[in-house]
Amino acid sequence: MKLVRLFAVCSAAALLPAAMAQKWEVGAGAGGGFYTSKDISLGSTSAEAKFKTNAAFSTFVGQNMGDRWGGELRYSYQLGDAQLKQNSTEATFGAESHTVDYSFLLYTAPQDSKARGFLSGGAGMKFYRGTGTEQITQPLSQYALLTKANDLTAVISVGGGVKMKLGGHAWLRLDVHDYMSPFPKQVITPNAGASVSGWVHDIVPMVAISFGK
Amino acid sequence: MLRKSWIVGAVSIFLLAGSALAGTFGKVVSIGGEASDLTLDEARGVLYVANFTANRVEVISLASNTILTSINVAAQPSSITLSPDGHWLLLTHFGNNASPASPTNALTLIDLSANYAKQTFVLGNPPLGAAFGFDNKALVVTTHDYLLFDPTTGQSTQLDTIAGVNAKTVPVPAANFPADITTASVTVSRDRTKIYGLGSSDGTVTFRYDVASHAISPGGVTLASGTLGPRVVSLNNDGSMAMAGWVMVDTAGTFVNFFAQRSNDASVGTTAFDDSRGLMYAQIPAVTGESPTLQVLDSFNLRLRQRLKLPENTKGRSLLSRDSNTLYAVSDSGVLILPVGTLNKSPRVVASTRDMVFRGNFCDPNIATQTLTITDPGGGSTPFTISASSPGVKVSPASGVTPANVTVSVDPSVYQSQKGTVAVTLTLASNAAVNVPDQVRVLINSREPDQRGTFLNIPGTLVDIAADPIRKRYYVLRQDTNEVLVFNSQNNTLMGSLPTYNVPTSMAFTLDNHALLVGHNESQTVAVFDLDALAAQPYIKTSAGAGNVVRSLAVTTRGVLATTEDYQSNWHVIRLDLAARTSTQLATLGVYENKLTPDSVITASPNGSKALVAGADGTVYVYDANVDSFTVSRKDFSGLKGTYAASSLDQFVVGNNLLDSSGVPVAQFESSTGDTSGFVFTGLVGIRTTAPDSASPGVIQRADLSNGSGIRPTHMVEAPLLATSGVAPSVFTHSLAILPDLSMLISLTTSGITVLPYSYDAAVAIPMITSVVSAADMTSQVAPGGLMAVLGNNLSGTNQATTEVPLPTIINDSCLTVNGQPVHMMFISPGQVNAQMPAQATGNVALTMHTPGGISNTFTLTVPSGAPAVFLSATAGDQTNLPTVIRFYNGLVVTATNPVHRGDILTIYLTGLGAVVPPVNDGDAALLDPLSRTVNTPKVSIGGMDAPVLFSGLVPGYVGLYVLNVGVPSNTPQGLSVPLTISQGGLTYSQNVRVVQQQ
Repeated sequence: MKLVRLFAVCSAAALLPAAMAQKWEVGAGAGGGFYTSKDISLGSTSAEAKFKTNAAFSTFVGQNMGDRWGGELRYSYQLGDAQLKQNSTEATFGAESHTVDYSFLLYTAPQDSKARGFLSGGAGMKFYRGTGTEQITQPLSQYALLTKANDLTAVISVGGGVKMKLGGHAWLRLDVHDYMSPFPKQVITPNAGASVSGWVHDIVPMVAISFGK
Repeated sequence: MLRKSWIVGAVSIFLLAGSALAGTFGKVVSIGGEASDLTLDEARGVLYVANFTANRVEVISLASNTILTSINVAAQPSSITLSPDGHWLLLTHFGNNASPASPTNALTLIDLSANYAKQTFVLGNPPLGAAFGFDNKALVVTTHDYLLFDPTTGQSTQLDTIAGVNAKTVPVPAANFPADITTASVTVSRDRTKIYGLGSSDGTVTFRYDVASHAISPGGVTLASGTLGPRVVSLNNDGSMAMAGWVMVDTAGTFVNFFAQRSNDASVGTTAFDDSRGLMYAQIPAVTGESPTLQVLDSFNLRLRQRLKLPENTKGRSLLSRDSNTLYAVSDSGVLILPVGTLNKSPRVVASTRDMVFRGNFCDPNIATQTLTITDPGGGSTPFTISASSPGVKVSPASGVTPANVTVSVDPSVYQSQKGTVAVTLTLASNAAVNVPDQVRVLINSREPDQRGTFLNIPGTLVDIAADPIRKRYYVLRQDTNEVLVFNSQNNTLMGSLPTYNVPTSMAFTLDNHALLVGHNESQTVAVFDLDALAAQPYIKTSAGAGNVVRSLAVTTRGVLATTEDYQSNWHVIRLDLAARTSTQLATLGVYENKLTPDSVITASPNGSKALVAGADGTVYVYDANVDSFTVSRKDFSGLKGTYAASSLDQFVVGNNLLDSSGVPVAQFESSTGDTSGFVFTGLVGIRTTAPDSASPGVIQRADLSNGSGIRPTHMVEAPLLATSGVAPSVFTHSLAILPDLSMLISLTTSGITVLPYSYDAAVAIPMITSVVSAADMTSQVAPGGLMAVLGNNLSGTNQATTEVPLPTIINDSCLTVNGQPVHMMFISPGQVNAQMPAQATGNVALTMHTPGGISNTFTLTVPSGAPAVFLSATAGDQTNLPTVIRFYNGLVVTATNPVHRGDILTIYLTGLGAVVPPVNDGDAALLDPLSRTVNTPKVSIGGMDAPVLFSGLVPGYVGLYVLNVGVPSNTPQGLSVPLTISQGGLTYSQNVRVVQQQ
């Protein structure tokens, strides 16, 4: 919980300069999160570990730096139980994540266009949190232990989308992001002798409404 | 308070004074002379007593028990009788005066309705006695004739003559009493239909007189010489049973019962039937000079019920009042008045049991206690004392006032060396009580685990045992209470009892298995019992011309034979006629004289084809039923004793010897295990029991009948019955029976009977201890009060756990000792025993396991003051042997998937934390209030970080189970395998756990 509070304070501090910018945008959206799985190996066998697809929510503050450049600070909250799976055997454990990242946006059209495509790229921090109820046994525990624990990892975000002016200062926004982070080994802990490596991709398509001028 | 104490003291003094002054039953009325006879006149409320030496009749008030008046009569009134109509009192005068004095034999007739008017009638011969029949005529018996005296006419009619009766002459030497002088007694039944009498100074002649027919017949008792004391005759109400001295004779002239022990003093003692209670009151001294004691017996078979102390000796007739409440007896001082109907008002003391059994627990050297209740059957407060004959038995209190509970304590260490059953006597006594209390037998069995069998306590003297061939029963002959005890062989419970005659000696079944025959040592009968109805049938008379009593019986295909002793102490074989209920003494035993040595026994093969007679002098005889004769007589031994048996395969066993069909010794059994007691044939092998003495464990073993060798000698729980010097069993014993389905053996043993399975000698391996570890993790050391696992082989025959608390010290006949002290166990199995290390055990200790297979090696180990070990008894799915470390947060055992979190509180169940305060007794569960905390709090760390111990102590409700509550520091290192260590007493226990972030 301490980490969660720290994370919230940092997010607010990051949003503050953006809100004071001359050209600004603020919005919120909802969508889904699609994690890629990672193999946890134990000898010659392995089990797939990932977070299950679930809803994602985000809020962001954008800043236009030029006619075609911008940046935005985004906070995302994403549900998604940790999951271990091997063939028909699986173990799940309640989990969620909090992500704060800052991305630069390259627009395909000037600011006064009714529709603007964009590409984004940035980085930030992702906070994984196991929320399930620990049990004395867990399937596939020889591979990994799903734990009520936290992981704070770096995250790299890339994505793109389109903003469409709804009228006035409102925009409809469709985008998709790939949040790439190291495997959260505190929440999904490889057991003794097991190993996992690489990064986790979290593909998050989202629909958002934003306001700005 | 002072006043109360004074009262209590006064009462105590009064009680003590009472006990000193009282303590005898009855009241003496002194008459200033020698009473010779008495008669009751209840209509007038008086008792007439013939004062032999003062020549008076004393008239005693039944109300006040004082002499109302005296009637002077002629010299030496020897007997007195009252006519049924209460009109006449008739006395005989024994005036057989020696020359030169003239005889003064006479009768005196006193008219009670005419102010004691007297008439005297001279008799030609010394009178033996007189008695009125219901016809108001008196039978007067003299040494030469039977006279019928009519008081209304004064005429005497000679009914018959009598021969062979001699009378003493007067004067006699000093210190002779009327019964010594007249040596006669004549009495009438209460219904006055029968008169019975005896007389003669140099022998005994008895007669029976039927009042209705005026017929006189022999009384059935004839002693060629000597005495038949006491010189008194009593009859039951209808005259069908007579007690002549110490002999009870029925109308058939059969001596149905005798008193086993008798001094034969003519002038000491009395007998009286009490038909209303089925009792007999008798003083028959066992030896001359014995303290005056009245025996209360069953009149059917003289079974002793109780003994009452008398203020002085009785010495003649006793009469029971019409209401059967008061017995009046001729006594030393005159008359003894015994309120038998209100006996409950007299102080008595009795113990609640005859036997107290302390069954040995070979692992428990602690003193065992039981409670004995002492009461006064009348409900009174009677002081008593009680003492033990052995220092190993203590009684507390040793004196008291009834009702009282006495704690009897047995210190097993005193009897450790005797692995059988030791009998210790508790002597109960009371100066105040009128009864002679029975002693209490304390039976202390100190069996070792390798001793086989289960004994059932049966008080008394057991002399024979027989298994019913066709019914699921067996029969035990109890001699002291004259009964056959019938047991259900399926559960060894007592089904019932068949009363025998006096002092039964042996049993035998008829060949059709429908009847059980019982011989007696103090009765010239063989009792017959219908085994289908479990009821008595008419007896078989065994007098056989010479007054025989049966020592043993053998049922053959040609009849029932018995070894007997006649009245002259000659031993014979007699044949019983089951149909006629009679017996005859065999003229010869084939070509041999029918003359056996004392205490000879006989037994028949189960098929009745052969019988063996064995004598204590070493003589044996073989009877062959095919020729109905004794075909063998040999004397190959200087003496024989112990068991005797016959098989259907023409083999015999006597003592340690196996004989062939010709009685020739063919093999000898070992004798190193003691005297033989019982033997049964089971086909080609036999089973025999032996013991060196009654307090040792007996030995049972199979015997190879081809060469006599013993097979697997096995100790019994206690000794089988051994020969004694008393009445049967004396030299020979018959103490072993086998059920017909070969499922069980029953042996008479010290405490009663011992039941053994047929496979009593099934191999049981000796236990062996190989290691002793903490029961928690099976590797750590064991601390005092902690739970341990004793590992080894053959530690038990079966698996058995117990939830009994306090934990028992013996399970399935197995137990464990630490330094000789019993250990409380919770589980036994062949390979492992779980138990609690005694709290006092520290340093080097020695463990020994005792099982039915024997005693294990002595295993030594060092017990530290603390040796913590967490129980590896938790499970999680298919994971087992997990440490019982519980997260307080969710109450679940710590596993990799339920890891320890920083900041958690853990509950750890373990053992081996040593001493606690307050302490808990070994085997007992810890209490919730107060909690028992460890004296030394262990140090706990996780990943090297000290974890605060919130509680360290015993788990309430459990034995030897400790618990630790510890906090998990927030800086505890995380990891999949972080050491959790518990240190105490220099020993550290470590167990890895997974530690993760704080939640």
